[in-house]
Amino acid sequence: MVQAALTRGREARAGGDFQQHKLAPYAFISPFYVLFAFFFLAPSLIALVLSMFRWDGINDPRFVLARNYGRLLSDKVFAQAATNTAIYAIASLLIVLPLALVLAVLLNAKSLRFSNVWRAMYFTPVVTSTVAISLVFQILYSRDTGLLNAPLIYLGLEPIYWLGDRSWVKVAIIILIIWRSTGLLTIYFLAGLQSIPEELYEAASIDGASMLQKFFRITVPMLRPIILFVSIIVLLSSIQIFDEIQILTNGSGGPANSSMSVVHYLYERGYTRLRLGFASAVGTVLFATVFILSLLQLQWYGVFRKED
Amino acid sequence: MGERFGQRLGVVALHVVVISGALLTVAPIAFMIYSSFKTTAEIFTLPPWLPPAEWSFKNYEELLTKWPFPYWYINSLIYAGVVTVFVLFFCSLAGFAFAKYHFRAKNVLFIILIGSTMIPFQLILIPLFVLMSRIDWVNHPASMIVPWMAPAFGIFLMRQYIQAVPTELMESARIDGASEFRIYAQVIVPLVRPGLTTLAILTFLGSWNSFIWPLMVLRGNRVITLPVGIATMRSQATASQIPYGEMMAAATMVSVPVILLFLMLQRYFISGLTIGAVKG
Repeated sequence: MVQAALTRGREARAGGDFQQHKLAPYAFISPFYVLFAFFFLAPSLIALVLSMFRWDGINDPRFVLARNYGRLLSDKVFAQAATNTAIYAIASLLIVLPLALVLAVLLNAKSLRFSNVWRAMYFTPVVTSTVAISLVFQILYSRDTGLLNAPLIYLGLEPIYWLGDRSWVKVAIIILIIWRSTGLLTIYFLAGLQSIPEELYEAASIDGASMLQKFFRITVPMLRPIILFVSIIVLLSSIQIFDEIQILTNGSGGPANSSMSVVHYLYERGYTRLRLGFASAVGTVLFATVFILSLLQLQWYGVFRKED
Repeated sequence: MGERFGQRLGVVALHVVVISGALLTVAPIAFMIYSSFKTTAEIFTLPPWLPPAEWSFKNYEELLTKWPFPYWYINSLIYAGVVTVFVLFFCSLAGFAFAKYHFRAKNVLFIILIGSTMIPFQLILIPLFVLMSRIDWVNHPASMIVPWMAPAFGIFLMRQYIQAVPTELMESARIDGASEFRIYAQVIVPLVRPGLTTLAILTFLGSWNSFIWPLMVLRGNRVITLPVGIATMRSQATASQIPYGEMMAAATMVSVPVILLFLMLQRYFISGLTIGAVKG
């Protein structure tokens, strides 16, 4: 019936209409591709070319071939920034991810009352400005009068120099990462939990399985695809970390570069010191790293599988 | 009997854990709001729950008199608002095309689209900045808007929503002689309002909270955005006289409105975040 009507409709349409039908989708998608080409593809190519030059943005660029890359790989500060970034990523994977998973299970428990209220509270960090909250944490981390040192001060112990110690500053940043991203990951896991059939848990209960057994034998295996997806999100967002460090350390990435991330390094070299060629090399190396991670993620999305 | 007691205990423990975690999570935000009514000296006085000697809006008044705070606020609103309008239009159009049309090279184009969502923009930060200075967009509002008008993520999101609209509706509109754009505007758009709301919230928040890009491309006290402005309050002060009270008032002003917005529109926000996770 519908099919017949459609055929009639098609026949009724003039050739011009048919053309419109064929061209319309290209017109509809063109804004993205134009903007993409101009503001993404072109800069990417510029970066590749620039990475082989020495340029301060003012004088003429000088061709140096691969020297920027050589310098980069032997630069101790870059090694430090890469290590720090890896530490942030691993901490997120090992702390935030399991924490969010457990939290999602707890928030999903049927016996939990007012679950919506608690969820909303856990999710607020997701929408809170990083700059605003980093300033708050800067106060909380203050050595002599910060809330986080209050118990130590009260007990008469030596307060921790959160933002002035090479190791503690990383802990301080990781705490802020935990605060900021646990809620976001919990949202993903909660969505995943909805897809686990209730019967599995009921059957396990009949067999006398404990809470822990259910968690490790049902929840975790059933959530495996989501866990994988979330870990890639965590890795990608760890690579991008900048705001927290910029604010907490007043733009220094210090003390002595001990909290600096790769993006912070990129910003500092490229924007502050105007070593545009060198910073482009940093960007290119990062690009390659992220590209590999992205392929993994695409694989998960199933983009490489033929669409049906 | 004992088992029942155990179960009860479990439920109590569950509540204790969940609620204390929730309180811990909102504590820094509560601290921020509370501190915005205190003087800087009081903010650094332990314990933090001591009320201020005198409740006052002085910090907020200082924002208006000492800082170009209203400019920052309006700039942030304009950048985020304008970006959101363009994003809604371009992403729903392209999402419509990918959801409902068959065309040549569609698969390749779609892979390019998805691929681009995976690359964080920080990686092209420097060359993009170079490009901006070449076309004289540094310190120009366009730099905050034009490059961000059609994010791939938004197209993907809208495609997911539009796929759920029955194709028959389109076909019958076509029989009635509607142009393709009219089908988009009059058939599709009204049916995907929840998707548009979701995209609007995510886009607005992303722009509102963005930091590194406006920090680079905007200069001058009257063109910068709120987060950059707040960071400026910190960096322009001498070490001994950082206006933490005023900064907490500013931090409250930047975050509390969006938290309220989030609480009202939570459902949309969460569906937007999870649409890719549950199954892309």
